[in-house]
Amino acid sequence: MSNEAPFEPVEDKTGAAFDADAPVTGKAQMQAAWSADDGERESTAQVASMPQGQIFQQIYQPWEGTLNPKWMRNWAILRHHVLGIFSKGHRPWGVPTKLFIFFVILASLTDVALTLLAGLIGETTLYSMFGVNRDNLYGHVMGFWPRNILYYPVVAALLVGGMISEDRAHGTSALYFSRPITRFDYASMKFLSIVIILFMIINGTLAVYYFTDILIMGKGWAWLIDTFPMFLAAFFCGILLSFTYTSIGLSLSSVSRGRFFPAIGLLAILMGTKTMAAIIDGLFDKSILYVISPYDAIAHVCQAIIGTEMTYSHPWTWSLASVVIMNGLALYLLANRVSSLEVTRE
Amino acid sequence: MKAAPERGIFKGLSLSVNFMVEDLVIESTALTKAYGPHVALDSLDISISKGATGLLGPNGAGKSTFLKTILGLIQLTSGEGKVLGMDIRTKGDEIRQKIGYMPEYDALNPNMEAIHQVRYSGELLGMNPSIALSRAHQTLEYVGLGEQRYRQVSTFSTGMKQATKLACALIHDPQLIIADEPSNGLDLQARNFMLNTLQTTVNSGNRSVLMASHLMEDVERVCDEIVLLHKGKLAAQGKIQDLKAIDREIEVHVWGAASKMEELLTDRGMKVRREGRVMRVRHEGEGTYNDVLRAAVDAGSQVRRMHDHEASLEDLFLVIMERLGHEAKGSEELLRGIDP
Repeated sequence: MSNEAPFEPVEDKTGAAFDADAPVTGKAQMQAAWSADDGERESTAQVASMPQGQIFQQIYQPWEGTLNPKWMRNWAILRHHVLGIFSKGHRPWGVPTKLFIFFVILASLTDVALTLLAGLIGETTLYSMFGVNRDNLYGHVMGFWPRNILYYPVVAALLVGGMISEDRAHGTSALYFSRPITRFDYASMKFLSIVIILFMIINGTLAVYYFTDILIMGKGWAWLIDTFPMFLAAFFCGILLSFTYTSIGLSLSSVSRGRFFPAIGLLAILMGTKTMAAIIDGLFDKSILYVISPYDAIAHVCQAIIGTEMTYSHPWTWSLASVVIMNGLALYLLANRVSSLEVTRE
Repeated sequence: MKAAPERGIFKGLSLSVNFMVEDLVIESTALTKAYGPHVALDSLDISISKGATGLLGPNGAGKSTFLKTILGLIQLTSGEGKVLGMDIRTKGDEIRQKIGYMPEYDALNPNMEAIHQVRYSGELLGMNPSIALSRAHQTLEYVGLGEQRYRQVSTFSTGMKQATKLACALIHDPQLIIADEPSNGLDLQARNFMLNTLQTTVNSGNRSVLMASHLMEDVERVCDEIVLLHKGKLAAQGKIQDLKAIDREIEVHVWGAASKMEELLTDRGMKVRREGRVMRVRHEGEGTYNDVLRAAVDAGSQVRRMHDHEASLEDLFLVIMERLGHEAKGSEELLRGIDP
C-alpha cells in the first residue's frame, strides 16, 4: 500500500458520531437521513485537502506464468508491425501510409478488373490485352507505369521510413534489447514485416489476377501447366522486388534518426539511378549503366526468368550480380548499424 | 553464512560486510571489460545481495558498461559474473527474461497508448498477448496510471513516462529490476511516488532493485546497500549503514571558549571540524566522549548538547572521494561528470 493516503478523510464538523457504537437518537437519524441539523449554525463548505474521486491502493501483484520461447517473441515483433496496418494497439502507422497502401492495392487490381470485365462481356480483344500471359504476368510485377515504377517504391519508402530510425530517435531500441531479443531477431523481424506487407500488395494482387483468370475464363489443366511456371517466375520476381526495396530502405532507415531521410533516400536511389541510366542509354545507346538502378537490375533478371522480351542490351547475369551486390551491401550496412543501437543510451 | 571478502579500495577500512551467498542477485569476480586500450571495467569483484542496491559513480565510472554486462549484452574481456545464479557470458537471454530494465532515457513510442506499449513490452518477453494485456492493466494500475492507461504516451508528463517505463519493466514480475536514474527529471510529487513505488516493490513485492542514480538522497531513501564505481574500479560497496561508520563523528554544541576547546582537541590528536558553536569530532572509540568532555572542562566551555552525528550518503561519498585523492565540493559536481 502506498505510504501516502490518496486523500484525507473529510472530518465531520457537526460533531455527530455515525460509527457503529453511536446511539441512534432521533437527531442522529434525522441527520443521517436528511443531512439536517438545527439550522442555526452558519453553513460552511467542507473542502478536501487532497483531490477526491479515486482511491489508490498500491499493491504489488506477482505473476506466476511462464514465458514462451524465442519464436513467440519474434512472432510478437512481426505481428506488431504487420497488424499495425489494419488495427489499433499495434505499431502506429500513419493514416497517409494506410491510405496509400489501400490505393496501391486498388491500383494493382486494375488488370484483375479488366480481366473480369473481358470474361463477363466475352470481349476477346480486351482479354488479349489484359488477360494472363507471359508479358502481363511480368507487367503486373515489373512493367506498368506508374504502378511499378512509382507506386511500389513510394509504398516501400513509406514503410521503411521510420522502421528503425524511430527506434533510434525514441529510444525504443532499449525496449527490444533489454529483453531476450537478439539484434538478428530484431532486424530480421522488422525486415520480414515490410517484406510481408509489400508481398501482400505485389504478390497478393498477382495471385488474385492469376486465379481470377482461371475462374472467369474456365481455364483447364493444359493452360495451367503452360502458365503456372510463368506465374511462379513472376511470383519470385515479386519477392525479389520486395526483398531488394526493403533491404535498401531499411539500411537507410538504420543510419537515420527520422523517417524523412530514409524515405526520400530510397526514392532518390530508385528514381535517380534509373533516370541517369536512361539519359546515358538515350545519349550513347548503352544500357550497361542500368546495372546501378535497383529497379532495372531486378526487371532485367525478371525478364530473363519469366522469358519475356529483353529490353536491355547487356547480359542479364550482370544485372543479377548487381542485385546480389546491392542486397549484400544494404544488408551489411543494416547489420552494422543495428549492432550499434544502444540499450543504456542512444 | 559466508563472509564475502573485503573488496574495493576500502579494504583497509575493515568493513564487516556480510552476504548470504544464496541471496546474491549479482556477483562478479575479476570482471573486466576493455574497449581496445580503454579499460571500462577493471577487475570488479562485486556482490549484490537481495533487496535494494544503489549503483553510484561519476560519468565514465563504468555504470552503463556494468549494466550492459549484467544484462548479458556485451562480451567480457576477462573474469566472470553471475546474475540470479546465471552466467552472464552464456545465459544472456535467460537473464534478460528475469530482469526488468527501466532505461534512463525515453524508451517509449510516443504515438502508442500506454496500455499497448506495456502489453507489447510483455510480448517481447514471450508473454501471450491476452496475458500480457491483463498484466499491463495490473502494472499500470500499480504505477499509478490506472486511469491514464488509454492515453497516448506523447500526452504524458515526464513522471507519467517514467511510470510507464517502470510498468514495462515490471510486467513479467521480474526478480531483479534495474532502474537507471528512475527519478530523472521528476518534480517532487512524482519523485516521491516513484521512490515509494520502488520501495513497495522491494518490501511488499519481495523483489530486488538495482538503482543507478546520481541523487544520493534517492539512493539513501530506497536502498540498503550501495556499489560505488570510480574509473571502472570498485571504490566501495556494502550496506550504507556500515559504510557510514567510516565517517562517524560526534557533534558537540558548546557555549564559550569554543576556539580554545577546538585547539585542545586538536592538540590531543583528535580530528575536529568547527562551525561557530558547533563542532564535529571524529569518533575514534568509546573514549572519545570522555576526551571531549575533559577538553571542555579544561577549556572552560559548557557542553550544551553532544550526540553522534548521522552522516548522510552525501557526506560518505565526499569522504570516499577524498580518500581516493579527489577534492570535491559535492556529489553533484562529481556525478554530473566533472572529472576530478
